[in-house]
Amino acid sequence: MSRVIFEIEGAQPVNVECNPGDNLLELARRANVAIDAPCSGNGSCGKCRVKLLEGELESIKSRHITDEEYEVGWRLSCNSKVIGDVTVFVPDIASAYQSRMKTADLSSGKEVAIFQELQENLKQAGICFENQFRALDLSMSQPSLDDTMPDNERLTRAIQEAAGVEHVHIPFAVMLKMASTLRENNFHVCVKGQLFEDRFACMDICPAEDQKLVGCAIDIGTTTVTMVLVDLTSGEILAKGSSGNGQIRYGADVINRIIEQGRPGGKKKLQDAIVKETLNPIIVNLCKGIGLNARSIVRMCIGANTTMNHLLLGVDAESVRMEPYIPSFFSWEGLLAGDLHLPAHPLAPVSIAPNIGSYVGGDITAGTLASLIWNKDEMSLFIDLGTNGEIVFGNRDFLMSCACSAGPAFEGGDISCGMRATDGAIEACTIDKDTMEPTLTIVGDPGQKSVGICGSGIIDIISELFRCGIINAKGLFVREGERVLRDRHGSGRYVLAFANESETGREISINEVDIDNFIRAKGAIFSAIDVLLQSVDMTVEMIDRVYVAGGIGSGINMANAVNIGMFPDVDLEKFSYIGNSSLTGAYAMTVSDAAWDKCSEVAANITYLELSTYPGYMDSFVAACFLPHTDARLFPSSRQEL
Amino acid sequence: MSFVPKKQAYNAHVNAVTLGTGDKATVIGGQNVLPFYTFDAPIENAPKIGIEISDAATEWTAPGLKQFYEGCTTMADFAKKAETMEGADFLCLHFESADPNGANRSVEDCVADAKAVAEAVSLPIVIMGCKNMEKDGELFGKIAEALQGKNILVMSAKSEDYKTVGASVALAYGQKVGAETADDINLAKQLNIMLKGLSINPENIVMNIGTAAVGYGFEYVASTLDRVRAAALAQSDEDLQMPIIAPVSTDTWSVKESVATAEDVPEWGDQEERAIGMEVSTAAANLTGGADAVIMRHPAAVATIKKFITELV
Repeated sequence: MSRVIFEIEGAQPVNVECNPGDNLLELARRANVAIDAPCSGNGSCGKCRVKLLEGELESIKSRHITDEEYEVGWRLSCNSKVIGDVTVFVPDIASAYQSRMKTADLSSGKEVAIFQELQENLKQAGICFENQFRALDLSMSQPSLDDTMPDNERLTRAIQEAAGVEHVHIPFAVMLKMASTLRENNFHVCVKGQLFEDRFACMDICPAEDQKLVGCAIDIGTTTVTMVLVDLTSGEILAKGSSGNGQIRYGADVINRIIEQGRPGGKKKLQDAIVKETLNPIIVNLCKGIGLNARSIVRMCIGANTTMNHLLLGVDAESVRMEPYIPSFFSWEGLLAGDLHLPAHPLAPVSIAPNIGSYVGGDITAGTLASLIWNKDEMSLFIDLGTNGEIVFGNRDFLMSCACSAGPAFEGGDISCGMRATDGAIEACTIDKDTMEPTLTIVGDPGQKSVGICGSGIIDIISELFRCGIINAKGLFVREGERVLRDRHGSGRYVLAFANESETGREISINEVDIDNFIRAKGAIFSAIDVLLQSVDMTVEMIDRVYVAGGIGSGINMANAVNIGMFPDVDLEKFSYIGNSSLTGAYAMTVSDAAWDKCSEVAANITYLELSTYPGYMDSFVAACFLPHTDARLFPSSRQEL
Repeated sequence: MSFVPKKQAYNAHVNAVTLGTGDKATVIGGQNVLPFYTFDAPIENAPKIGIEISDAATEWTAPGLKQFYEGCTTMADFAKKAETMEGADFLCLHFESADPNGANRSVEDCVADAKAVAEAVSLPIVIMGCKNMEKDGELFGKIAEALQGKNILVMSAKSEDYKTVGASVALAYGQKVGAETADDINLAKQLNIMLKGLSINPENIVMNIGTAAVGYGFEYVASTLDRVRAAALAQSDEDLQMPIIAPVSTDTWSVKESVATAEDVPEWGDQEERAIGMEVSTAAANLTGGADAVIMRHPAAVATIKKFITELV
């Protein structure tokens, strides 16, 4: 037996006994030590690095670790075997997630404005922003020897009168605390519940001053989770927060997560990762921040992709990835917060926005709702850019959708210097054709030096490199210069900031592997659009509007996105960025019952196209993995200045 | 009323690429109709046959081949003999022994062989490498230099090394370059675009869009050939109008139908006949699919395909 000690940054060390020959990453997972491994441990992503402090590991040398890093002890845990007692240092995973993610979490004024505009549009489209949750302020006469009505009857009568209904349902949990709450408050209480046509279903009985009815809208992305707490009566946003999805350590994409949940105990592990490690801490923190008792949360609404929905419920997701790709459910109601032990009122209904197919889930139906394309005559294209790219196309008469796997590139993942759009992120870039010198726009105060590149920056950089003829249509470096460097395998990179110009003292560059990853991601997106249009025998000229949603950020330069062939070559004025539309949709459904009904109706009317069984998709994908496209006629405005 | 066939010649045509010089120069491509559709328009340049000669040809065991090349020891000997083969339009020198993981013959030796062949024969020359990208890169450049003015075709430039090969072969020494891709119309087109991006004249590019022996996934080859031709002619896609050359023999002579001896599988019959059968079927399939030239090895197979072409054009 060998002993492995994991020294975790910012946490207590973990001691594990194991057999020599055990894989370090597997061991860490068994011991619940969070090591970031987006590729699920096949050595391709290079994120699962740990540092040897004592002892030795049998490690395969990887291209992800430089000689200097190897020298000081950095190893990839996925290709390291334990050969004796060893102590390793595990970097802080939460910050590792955060550092490579961009979340549209309403943290900027621009995002809030987009959010509010969409809500306003929904109202104008005739969606009534009302819900059935009520907090009834009830004053009852106190029982006496002359007034011998039992508590439940007394309460029922008061509710009947206040709510104007005949039937009242008092659940067991309320029965249990009814007597004491009534007496402690001298029969002046608040009863929270749901008002249906002729019935009031109680959820809670509280002191009269606690009249808060709070809703929680959540967007669960494969990579990031964002949520808002809202006042259900006024619609006001009370708090907002976001974090990385704790399931990341079980794989960066949905397929790896599904494989992981299929292993013994996997469903529980993945459910815990999202519920206990991700949702609960955010909710608890948000409540703490605004001095709210989590029990006041009486409704939750979740926009998440099909796999995330399955993993959240702990329902087997295997069939999502296996032909014929039939999930356990599209739409299902009946979940209560207590079922998942979420920090909210246990009887709070948790509504999951309906899925449309295995790879088009509730986040897209919620987003489609928010985009309002279902209410327009014009032909609209709705694109949600995330780990998966989802496309919806159509108008008020028909809607088609499909999904493609784009990988985490748009969120700054899979890119060597990728990061989220926070201080230090290169969010925009232009390059001088002659001198090949870049001009960078960096997030933060004036004088801020660069730390990494966020999604919108990557689009700009690749577009500019291509325009200046520094890279060819395959993304390989074809011009030489001071800023074009090559490693010993001959693989090129373009330096945006030399070590002495960057905030971190490390060179900020984009290499051929990054560019290749990004070209695949953009190829996946464009070919999905292409195939979806083909399936209804339409062409890009017929697109009237393009709505872009997702984590790539509001700074996306549509002209550059078109220049590299990521979006169809239509008039730039047709593009709008609509932020985190899944969260916007979830918010609308939290505060408005009509929005929920509309979303279900829209979802039922979207036709789902399964690209993995669509014969022309692969062909279209290969054609799109070129700058801007193998068929240059599709991109007349794309330019390369040679 | 009598039946009047409607002719369907296209406005676009496949580029005509000339290989070699002088009387024996040969032109591949040039037609504006689908393969062998002589009823739509005359096909000026019938598909061509290249004869493969390997620097490892002395190891060939098929009795018919041995007999044909009896007494040949050097590549030049083989080439001279091959030139006499009925149906030969050009010669393909295959430097398989240059592979660093195999015999690792030096670039100098290979270049010397190529020069000796070029001096001994008058048919156009096509060069095929050892599939080791680094070695081929050097070899192709040196041969292109040594055979300057001979208007040879060097196979092949791939997306990984198109810059080196394209620049040395086509730009520096004015030879023709073969663009090799795996069976996929988009990859083929992408490579052509990149070669054109190096300012190589499209008229100097020949495509090898990927081949397979029949029965070994030839469906992919067939559909790629079909689509490339349709794009070139029906859609006038200039990036796919390069003529197609299919190296048939290197595939067909290494599959089990050609390699397994009659002792091992008596029920399959004579080994050499099987190999000839594979070569003929694969070449015929390539030509009917749209290839403008095939590279073959066995005299009997070449004779059959020559007859096939003559009767159809």
